[in-house]
Amino acid sequence: MAEILLEVKDLKKYFKAGSKIQLFKKPFYEKYYLHAVDHISFSIEKGTTLGLVGESGCGKTTVGRTILRLYEADGGEVLYEGKDIAHIPISSDKTYTKKIQMVFQDPYASLDPRCTIADIIGEGIEVHGLYKTKKEREERVCELLEMVGLNREHRNRFPHEFSGGQRQRVGIARALSVNPEFIVCDEAISALDVSIQAQIINLLMRLQKEMGLTYLFIAHDLSMVRHISDQTAVMYLGTIVEIGPTEEVYQNPSHPYTRGLLASVPLPDPDYEAKRTVRGMKGEINSPINPKPGCRFADRCEFACDICREKMPELKDLGKGHKVACHFTEKLNSKE
Amino acid sequence: MSILEVKDLRVSFHTYAGKVQAVRGVSFSVDKGKTLAIVGESGCGKSVTVQTIMKLTPTPPAFIEEGSILYEGTDIVGYSEKQMQKLRGKEFSMIFQDPMTSLNPTMRVGRQINENILKHMTLSSKEATKRTMEMMRLVGIANPEINMLRYPHTYSGGMRQRIMIAMGMAANPKILFADEPTTALDVTTQSQILDLINDLKKQFQMAVVLITHNLGVVARMADSVAVMYAGKVVETGTAREVFYEPKHPYTWGLLNSIPDTANMNGNRELPAIPGTPPDLFAPPKGCAFAARCPYAMKACIKAQPEETCLSDTHKVSCHLLDPRAPKVEPYHVKRQKTE
Repeated sequence: MAEILLEVKDLKKYFKAGSKIQLFKKPFYEKYYLHAVDHISFSIEKGTTLGLVGESGCGKTTVGRTILRLYEADGGEVLYEGKDIAHIPISSDKTYTKKIQMVFQDPYASLDPRCTIADIIGEGIEVHGLYKTKKEREERVCELLEMVGLNREHRNRFPHEFSGGQRQRVGIARALSVNPEFIVCDEAISALDVSIQAQIINLLMRLQKEMGLTYLFIAHDLSMVRHISDQTAVMYLGTIVEIGPTEEVYQNPSHPYTRGLLASVPLPDPDYEAKRTVRGMKGEINSPINPKPGCRFADRCEFACDICREKMPELKDLGKGHKVACHFTEKLNSKE
Repeated sequence: MSILEVKDLRVSFHTYAGKVQAVRGVSFSVDKGKTLAIVGESGCGKSVTVQTIMKLTPTPPAFIEEGSILYEGTDIVGYSEKQMQKLRGKEFSMIFQDPMTSLNPTMRVGRQINENILKHMTLSSKEATKRTMEMMRLVGIANPEINMLRYPHTYSGGMRQRIMIAMGMAANPKILFADEPTTALDVTTQSQILDLINDLKKQFQMAVVLITHNLGVVARMADSVAVMYAGKVVETGTAREVFYEPKHPYTWGLLNSIPDTANMNGNRELPAIPGTPPDLFAPPKGCAFAARCPYAMKACIKAQPEETCLSDTHKVSCHLLDPRAPKVEPYHVKRQKTE
């Protein structure tokens, strides 16, 4: 087994969502918390990709941001090569900000419109003092631009002169500028057209092969995640409901939510679509503010029983590293 | 008989930087009770085409340079704003991409649906309110008595899109234009909204013009498909023809760039279309796709390809279909394993 690069243990992130004074009820003063990430654990091996999927509002972006410490974790650990990085002071130790980088979702909003491409990409290089002379920095910027498939002449242009796909390439070059080991791709392709998406996916996969990068690939496009990921984790309302090797999760989805999610994806085959009987699921994602005890998916689940509403299921191993959090996994699988 | 027919429509935008030829000769027709899907990348003119039919593009800067739009046999290109207002909402209606911004945040949703009913139907305000509630039930919103008094921001994305559909459907339109109705939604909600549109289509025998760039959505919804590239329809046909016997290299590229989940063999590279679409300020003289096409020939750069009819419905504009063109490896059809 390969070396584990990043391990997340029992990670928790709650956001304050106001409070309410109720005169005739107890507790008298109730605080509301949005449970964005609720006790999540997973690990990523070096040089592999973990795909994180789920509906909007399920907390997948928060996971990525908490790992980068754009949000401070409220509990749990983020172990990078065995060392907890969730609680070290950032200002004194820049090692990990260099090793972990991020590619953002919206290529239109994540590049400063007043900076040239060279400044955007060179900023990280300067912060970490990787190069001494100006010329060296310029060389590095050109090298990065060529690495992501842009021309070196592009370096003095401004972001508005580029198309969405090109901007996303700039975003990737910026992430690569400090020689990171781990990149969080937060919906890096969602804002792009189909044909451009494929280009960016190919670029990311090529870079992974060449530089041995490790990705956390956050997306809601299930087919793209299947293409790029070695491991896939499915999130629902702040918890991981299913995690395992990608093919295992897609071919034997064992959580009712994963099944519903996969059944909702329309596939580009008219005959198949016409014959398809199981389609999607009912209802909408519940509010993550002060969630009820028990399985988070219970309200939308067709198999839900009393136990689901009382006790939160734990992740159970089905073999081959495929884990599911459901009280009725065995029962559901034996039905078929 | 087709309810809507667009013939050789050309639309350009006159800007300070020059003339943008957004739509450069688009023709298609939609039959009653059928769905036409218009597919293409962003900036290929699919939204402009539909907005021009609805006359929602302001003139200036947008001008219809040429072509005709026949609605039930009458040309509506020359219609005045007053005449269009009678059509809009009653005969045609539109669902927009972003349900977050296309509803009025200062009006209760019930009144927004009501507006359309009062404008186009001769009903008293009591009857109109009744109809509003009926429409809300139809699109799957329970307790309309309470829910019609809520403001849009209190609804989730999927529910707002349902309200948009209720607004669009309120006056029983004959054609529903849906401009990327599910792009901003999650897959699970998308599936619900697509089902709703399909049910309503069957129930009211409407024609639906669906704009999307998701080929999965096209496969699920469409009876016929028009693939657009740089302001032109490059391939049109029934859904089966376009998905199983595509003839244009751009269609091949689009179909190939979706990961083939049924036949995965390791982490192989996705066949992406290289490059980006051309600048429509100065569209190329020849085929607009030539610069990105792996099969481009000299003829492609010199002259625009003529439309070739392969069957009554299947039409393709590509030089490869010329008998003198070299034979290329045909597209390998991807089929999903049946459940």
